[in-house]
Amino acid sequence: MSVLAVSNLTKRYHRGGKPFAAVDDVSFEIGPAETLALAGPSGSGKSTIARLVLRLIEPDAGRIDFEDADFLTMSGAALRARRARLQMVFQDPLAAFNPRATVARVLNDPLRVHGIAPRADRPRRIAALLERVGLDAGLAQRAIHEISGGQRQRVAIARAIATRPSLIVLDEAVSALDVSVRGQILELLLDLQRQERIAYLFISHDLGVIRAVAHRIFILDAGRIAESGDARAVIAYPQSSVGKALVAAMPKLVRDRP
Amino acid sequence: MTALLSIRDLSVAYRRDGVEVPALKGVSLDVLEGERLAIIGESGSGKSTLALALAGLLAMGTEIGGMIEWSASQSQTPRSFAPLSGLPAISPARGEIGSFADGSSPATLEISKSSDDGSISPLAGEMPGRAEGGVPERRPSAIGNTQAPLLGSDIGFVFQDPSSSLDPVMPIGKQIAEVAHTHLGPGWKGAYAKAKTLLERVRLPNPDATIHAYPHQLSGGQKQRVAIAAAIAAGPKLLIADEATSALDTIVQAEIVALIRRLVSEDGMTLIFISHDIALAASLADRIAVLRHGELIELGETSQIVNAPQQAYTRALLDAHLGLNAEPLLDRQDTSA
Repeated sequence: MSVLAVSNLTKRYHRGGKPFAAVDDVSFEIGPAETLALAGPSGSGKSTIARLVLRLIEPDAGRIDFEDADFLTMSGAALRARRARLQMVFQDPLAAFNPRATVARVLNDPLRVHGIAPRADRPRRIAALLERVGLDAGLAQRAIHEISGGQRQRVAIARAIATRPSLIVLDEAVSALDVSVRGQILELLLDLQRQERIAYLFISHDLGVIRAVAHRIFILDAGRIAESGDARAVIAYPQSSVGKALVAAMPKLVRDRP
Repeated sequence: MTALLSIRDLSVAYRRDGVEVPALKGVSLDVLEGERLAIIGESGSGKSTLALALAGLLAMGTEIGGMIEWSASQSQTPRSFAPLSGLPAISPARGEIGSFADGSSPATLEISKSSDDGSISPLAGEMPGRAEGGVPERRPSAIGNTQAPLLGSDIGFVFQDPSSSLDPVMPIGKQIAEVAHTHLGPGWKGAYAKAKTLLERVRLPNPDATIHAYPHQLSGGQKQRVAIAAAIAAGPKLLIADEATSALDTIVQAEIVALIRRLVSEDGMTLIFISHDIALAASLADRIAVLRHGELIELGETSQIVNAPQQAYTRALLDAHLGLNAEPLLDRQDTSA
């Protein structure tokens, strides 16, 4: 059983009048509570796959099954209901939210739109969500632009889990964070995964981060899958030229004692 | 090694909604001639403020205290650019930034006074110093003879985002040639020849065609190569790279770091490499300075910082690095479960 199954996914764009495939015949599956990482250089198709999976853009070919239902042909109420189970967290939460909205408003929206909680119950639910992601409930009345980057990313995670998703797409979700904050956010994601059985499609250019949290990795190159497998095994012994280049490019911190 | 730059008790504060927000608090540091110095820290540590202060690029209204002494050798060949009409509170003798008497007329900082067109924007920097009172000898009276560093010819600066540091509507060859033309004065023909040589030196493909290209026609890594070419076009002694590889993917980042390393070595430049990434800094730098909340908390040889950090914060930064030999968080979670 898989949460997400992507088959022969293809997305073409035009560049300089010539068609090129940003995503070229890509297939993969993600199981429950599994983290699948997509890695690759800029322009390899990672974020295009994320946007296809979220149906922010439509593919030219291929099939996406989400929770064993054909996601691409869904519409209307069925699509809306299914979308609640598929959430996203992006790199820059300041760009993802209205900066002047309060934290409470950001968390209220999914509860309202998806009919998760009646109005009277929402303040309690919002406080619980904030607590779940390690934030003080008193933060609810603060504006998004007033809180720190790490706090904002926690709010983005709180919003994502508000609708009890089975899959969250994380597109460079920790790339802009300070290292000390990054570790805490990764721990939070792992904790949520264990407790709530959430699967992650984890997109990152950073193999160090992927190795820390992902079960499996797919390395992309020019829209195609160059190699895939157990995250640690692939990163330890990359076979493809792009995989080798990504590993070689990682800055090595050589310490006498770890 | 002698100090190229001596920074003494440098303090910088920004004004935000009428409130003074300190960004640097009494930083003292020598930058040695020919060294590769990394300045690392997290957001809000003041690392970029330090870079901008050294380059004289702080915004108008910024409060600056302390002193920066530039001791480049006196034997530099005369340059044909118009002399500075005034750097903020820089003494003729020592090249000090900061602390001139309150109420004195604001000095004007002019960068690259080009007679042609002003595509490198002439920034006017009004930097009123702190009201320390009574240091009239620091007034920039004879500033034309100063040994204060000049951005472009003495200091090259590479920013994080080449898409915003390059002019989107000017061919890249001209953007590089302009720096050479402004500071070295070989005439436009010579400046373009220099630009072409620089495009070759930063390993851009097909320089004859690329010289006419616009920034949007290049990839992010190629744009950063152009920005580096422009930064070194006038042969600066000091190159400041402020998060110059942070917006690039890992493979391109490694290429740009290798390029910076090669150019710095070939031209005998001093490098200040500003980064949030301690592993990247350690891979390039001879010494590492660690900033936190606007203070310099640790400075040492790279091997000492990496293997025997004196400060708990430095150790925490090292421990937070997720390298390819770190214990995966996944395992820690599994065992604690």
